[in-house]
Amino acid sequence: MKNDILFKLSFLISRLIYLIVRKMGKKGTALPGKIAMKIKPDILNDLSSRCDNIAIVSGTNGKTTTNNLSNHIFKGKDFKVLSNLNGSNMIQGVISPFIIDKKKHYDWGIFEVDEGSMPVINKYMVPDYIILTNFFRDQLDRYGEVEKVIKTVYDSIKHESTTLILNGDSPTSLYFDDLKNSKIYYSLEKTKFSRDDETSAESVTCPKCNNKLNYEYITYGNIGKYYCLKCGVKNPKPHYVISKTELKDNLYDFTVCDKYGSSKIKLGLLGIYNLYNVLGAISLARENNFSYDLIKKQIENFEFKEGRMEIINTSSSKVILGLTKNPIGLSEILSIIWADNSKKSVMFVLNDYAPDGRDISWIWDVFIKENNDFSNIDKFFCVGTRAEEIALRLKYIDFPEEKLVIYHSKDRYDIEEPILTIISQNNKNYILGTFTAMPEAKKIIMKIKKEESL
Amino acid sequence: MKMELNIVDFYSDVLNIYGDIGNLLCLKKRCQWRDITINQKCFSIGEDIDLDYEDTDLILIGGGSDRNQEAIANNFLNQRKYIDSYLDNDGVLLAVCGSYQMFGNNFKNIDGMDINCLEIFDMETIISKDRLIGDIILNSNIELGNDKIVGFENHGGNSYHDYNTLGIVDIGFGNNKDAVDEGLVFKNFIGTYLHGPLLPKNPHLADYLILSALKNKYEISSLSPLDDSIESKAHDFMVNKYLS
Repeated sequence: MKNDILFKLSFLISRLIYLIVRKMGKKGTALPGKIAMKIKPDILNDLSSRCDNIAIVSGTNGKTTTNNLSNHIFKGKDFKVLSNLNGSNMIQGVISPFIIDKKKHYDWGIFEVDEGSMPVINKYMVPDYIILTNFFRDQLDRYGEVEKVIKTVYDSIKHESTTLILNGDSPTSLYFDDLKNSKIYYSLEKTKFSRDDETSAESVTCPKCNNKLNYEYITYGNIGKYYCLKCGVKNPKPHYVISKTELKDNLYDFTVCDKYGSSKIKLGLLGIYNLYNVLGAISLARENNFSYDLIKKQIENFEFKEGRMEIINTSSSKVILGLTKNPIGLSEILSIIWADNSKKSVMFVLNDYAPDGRDISWIWDVFIKENNDFSNIDKFFCVGTRAEEIALRLKYIDFPEEKLVIYHSKDRYDIEEPILTIISQNNKNYILGTFTAMPEAKKIIMKIKKEESL
Repeated sequence: MKMELNIVDFYSDVLNIYGDIGNLLCLKKRCQWRDITINQKCFSIGEDIDLDYEDTDLILIGGGSDRNQEAIANNFLNQRKYIDSYLDNDGVLLAVCGSYQMFGNNFKNIDGMDINCLEIFDMETIISKDRLIGDIILNSNIELGNDKIVGFENHGGNSYHDYNTLGIVDIGFGNNKDAVDEGLVFKNFIGTYLHGPLLPKNPHLADYLILSALKNKYEISSLSPLDDSIESKAHDFMVNKYLS
């Protein structure tokens, strides 16, 4: 009884504050959850019972995309689906959508969860599925070593009834081998973008015997076809496979198949890592009896926002925004930019606030192959509170110094001037940035767009 | 006569967190820009390389996670006597973070377990629960032409020794949580906790290593100057942020 009253009180107050904050024109995606938890710390326990089925997406990169794709596919079946689509992925970010959306029942709750928040989320929720995308080094000054992050996630998986959906091409998935949970693996067959050489931006030792791991090929990061000469471990047999990948007109064209069917699908998200994000979402859908016709339809009409290679057109310029926060993510985005033959300028806003990581040394862990052709890049704008460091990094890959523009930002808000410059000078621009940079960059570009339309 | 340097990077495919690979890139480029030929070799586990230490001019070793350090430990210990005599013969070696610790007697990990080390230097390292993390600025003990060395430290190890050090700590922690100085310098060995990576933002230190290595082979007293304006911007920004 007391529990019930406390729950209602917590829900009402946090909802009221959400409505007030919204009226004031603010977003506050995590605030309702934060307040609800203050009143009833275990409120997620009560709220999660509103979902018939629950799926969680965690891992280093690709959480938000996988979550958004899954949500979009599941909504295609007229399911009532609740998700935290904007990337707010700590416990308050998982609670908030319940308060904001306020329905009493959902067919599915699909949430992305920060690796560090997995223990607390799994304490209050019993997920039917956990999708683990990959594990890379990410903001080591906050999270510590990647193995510790993996252990945190491993220890958080408490219920044997949870099915694990794992990236079969990531050797880190082997760390979860001895859990009794059923496991579903997905895999991407070798593409023309895969590399045969064994250099990886990530250090790779065998999760089983700690010997150095060998690769037949690497698709990106530490992901690819691996084998260990010492203990013989290799990629597990996958349940879902993407093959015959081609890139045409900025679209990936691929075939996905499993034991029961296959489909040819087109994906409009650039970056080879997005094929893995799609695979995670397809695996979840197929495990729940979705037809490939529906999956294909939803993937092909999927539009993704939120600064992850998002395209915004102003009257004079096409701007491609890319959030980047760790070596693997930036390696992939840069390889897209180097491969783009059109004339363009690039901006990278590197900040060193706590959410970005105080330590900026990760930009040196980015895998950049030698002898790149930079002739199609007009200017490279180095911006942010650590602008000089980008210029330094670029100098050491022989990027022409005369194309570098260094603009040191006093703080995270001080990026309007270089953005106005880059947009006025070029009709195609990539703007990349760390966590605190991208919301500001997007705000400024949207302001420019709005002023143009007046 | 064209000068030439043989650089060996140890375990860079396993011990490669915090951008330490940038130290290798920095040395390579600064030699290339001066028309000094670089022959680079990677020495690592899983491959049988018979390293000719007499033909090695400069060794670089970075740091890694506990698990990755464990992965290289046996292989590294097998190199002990060769590395010891390499250093005795004025060989140049830069060891960062985890590998710096391994030149000492032993270190106790967070569970109190002794980890075997090279025992080349009389140095003890104890892992503490609270990691020492943040920007760090040193006043260099080596004559470099620029007094300040800037970087980022992130270590659980607290190291104690009586050798010369790389510098006096202006900002940050250093060798241990109570330290006033940072690193260990012995002949041409430099051990340090500084990431950043260390060398690109401290070109004076990079050039010191290159020159020391060249002096072992050639009659040379200085390097041709390079345009270091971008390097200086990155270096000076850190110094000014904390010390002006």
